[in-house]
Amino acid sequence: MACLHSWKTFLTGAIAVVFLALLPLLADMGDDTMNLLIMLFIYIILAESWNLMGGYTGLYNIGMAAFFGCGVLITHFVLIAGAPLYIAVLGGAVSAVLLAGVIGIPTLKLKGFYFSIATLALAEVLRITVGNLFPRTVWMPSEWFVNFNFIPRYYLSLGMAVITVLIMYILVNSKLGLALFAIRDDEEAAKVSGINVFKYKIIVFFISSFLTGLAGGIYTYYRLSFLPFSQFTPHWTFEPLMAASIGGAGTILGPVLGSILLVVIQDWFSLNLGQAHYIVLGTIFILMVIFSPGGIIQLVNKAYHISGLYKVRKKRNRVELF
Amino acid sequence: MFIQVLSYGIMIGAIYGLVGSGLALMFGVMKYLNIAHGTFIMLGGYASYWLFTLWGLDPFKSIPLVLLIMFTMGIVVYKIVFSPLVKVFHVGERIQNSMLITFGLLLIIDNTVTWLWTSDVRSITTSYTGSTFRLYSVNLPYNSLIGFGLALLALLCLHLIINNTYYGKSIRATTQDWEGATLMGINVDYTYLISSGVTFALSGVAGIVIATSYSITPSGGLEWLLKAMIVLVLAGEGKTKGILAAGLFLGVVEAVGVSLVGSAYREVFGLLAFILVLLFRPQGLFTER
Amino acid sequence: MLEIKNIDVYYGDLQALWDVSVNIAKGEIVTLIGSNGAGKSTLLKTISGLLKPRKGSILFEEVELDKLPAYKTVELGIAMVPEGRKIFTEMSVHENLELGAFTREARKEKNKTAEWVYEIFPILKERTRQKAGTLSGGEQQMLAIGRGLMSLPKLLIIDEMSLGLAPVIVQEIAAILKKINKTKGTSIFLVEQNVQMVLALADRGYIIENGRIVREGKTDALLNSESVRNAYLGI
Repeated sequence: MACLHSWKTFLTGAIAVVFLALLPLLADMGDDTMNLLIMLFIYIILAESWNLMGGYTGLYNIGMAAFFGCGVLITHFVLIAGAPLYIAVLGGAVSAVLLAGVIGIPTLKLKGFYFSIATLALAEVLRITVGNLFPRTVWMPSEWFVNFNFIPRYYLSLGMAVITVLIMYILVNSKLGLALFAIRDDEEAAKVSGINVFKYKIIVFFISSFLTGLAGGIYTYYRLSFLPFSQFTPHWTFEPLMAASIGGAGTILGPVLGSILLVVIQDWFSLNLGQAHYIVLGTIFILMVIFSPGGIIQLVNKAYHISGLYKVRKKRNRVELF
Repeated sequence: MFIQVLSYGIMIGAIYGLVGSGLALMFGVMKYLNIAHGTFIMLGGYASYWLFTLWGLDPFKSIPLVLLIMFTMGIVVYKIVFSPLVKVFHVGERIQNSMLITFGLLLIIDNTVTWLWTSDVRSITTSYTGSTFRLYSVNLPYNSLIGFGLALLALLCLHLIINNTYYGKSIRATTQDWEGATLMGINVDYTYLISSGVTFALSGVAGIVIATSYSITPSGGLEWLLKAMIVLVLAGEGKTKGILAAGLFLGVVEAVGVSLVGSAYREVFGLLAFILVLLFRPQGLFTER
Repeated sequence: MLEIKNIDVYYGDLQALWDVSVNIAKGEIVTLIGSNGAGKSTLLKTISGLLKPRKGSILFEEVELDKLPAYKTVELGIAMVPEGRKIFTEMSVHENLELGAFTREARKEKNKTAEWVYEIFPILKERTRQKAGTLSGGEQQMLAIGRGLMSLPKLLIIDEMSLGLAPVIVQEIAAILKKINKTKGTSIFLVEQNVQMVLALADRGYIIENGRIVREGKTDALLNSESVRNAYLGI
């Protein structure tokens, strides 16, 4: 972890964050740019939360949408009930954690694919059931629309994205991180060496779903109105998963890079191709999984390696930069 | 009334079994968790839909053609996107990578289908659609009956193939231990290839049944994937034996639940059954440990 | 019959075998002795094609084995009884035997061979419908050998036959192997840690240490050599 260039990465990151923080003060960004950046920040939170499980622990959550949608919906209803924003967002996040308990406790003791199936099943069941129960678009009270301002939403999402990345950094470099690596690389060996695999898995699942629910809460605050079931569509699973994998699962920077790429590609392609941009995206994604399972970071590292500048650290087939 | 509910449950349960069998076969033999399974079922449905709409081919008469189309598709998909994963020997890793790849496939196919044929809900309406068969006090739609029979027939064929042919033997051996199977002189790669074809053919049959008894949409595959996954877990990992029973169980549980609480919560019963089984019988409902 | 010439084998980037050469002639019983991790299983995996050598060649009756996919080695006449037996526990004893006769040639003779195997191992006949997973360790080993014989091999390779078995059973199986070798002319390659059993059975032997063949010769000579006695017999 303590690679030579890690302080450089930090510095670059810090400069980027300061720049993003000053951006609304320096220039009057259009609504489009604002929307784009806020979505980017939300994606970063989601991609990092997926990555904590998929990349670092080897648990593939293919039902992120369940936890995101739960955060969105609960935050919405708590806000409607008149609670302050932070209570509402926290409520959304905590309810996502409760949901994680329902799924995590029965499945995390079993083989990994049970967890994957269960998360997907949960997301689908919620999508269909929520669609049955709340078929119409839900709205915040009208004064929210009248007083709508991008600035607090921008800072909230930026702040949460930065905090998420920092949390990941701290987690990965802590004792927990070590345990996670051990579990990912060889679960049986980890068990034998006295690591309480179930405990760590559930902790990580809770953290990940908390952050996912949080992202949902921020999304509610930013969107104001939405179709309830569409927050549970697989779209909300795919995109973080793709962002993390394309960027580089099992690295901290990967999901950030992947989110940027994804948002840019989507913005760019969806203008020309509309819905069909997913065809392009899906193809890129498959090629990436087959030829460079470590994502962009792996490609970059390979380039470094070939040019002899940096020695690649291999861990199974994933490569870490940082 | 109760018998009516039960008969609906059983009829759809057989389809759940059929839908689950393809997923279970591929997962058992190749250790690929095919997230696009439902999507391929939809493709099978579209194949029979277009054969019917454009050429007037009766959906149940076009079965051989749909089977052929889907089998070929299975071979092609295996050659292009599945085969690179054969080199991943670590089972967990192979499952994970296969999820990612089939996720990508799902995205591509879903959106291609939407792009080509819009996201309209379609179903095949034949001259006999809507007519029912009355057995004592129970109404049974002809379409569902044929679909039910077809699902049972497909599962029976699969059962016979697995237990009585050399291909079936190679499937079972590879499922248990691919290295051991290789040492017996079994060409594991070829077994995978054919299994992929057979899985897709099963998806084709399921697609026909679903297009005639229910409906197909580009994104409708996910709902069927959900059923297939629940069936897979209820039957137990790597078991093709309990698949039909698991499907029937799920169908009946859902039907009874719906009649008691209301159809808005249909999916919740499946999920509940799923979680309870994972908690108390993770090895599957019908297998003794 | 089997000529392994100077092979180097790697697991990924890790080299496991250095310049290994082994010969087995027709009708011979040959043994390979080595401790855990010496490279025995690696060599066997290479013969059966699950691993490919980076250097050197493996010839079986003039056919280059290392150029063929793994499943073809069975067709050529090599049967492998792998370490840990690798029987198909969910299938019946009879189904396991049938799987042994998977190749085209062996399929034709399937029933005849099965009868012969049941004759050699009568206990398997009693258990024919039982799930293989329910057999005792010795019975499983017999099944694994029987399954190997089902492919009508010219060369039978057995990995760690005596592992976890009672000495009486090991002796029983050894006697049967000797008989098969005599009557059918099947070459046998025994890979073992249990030196006493194997040296009594085999004509020639190789000793492998740290991925290298360190000694070879007639079994009597090996038995008498001091280093072998010290290292493997504990005398």
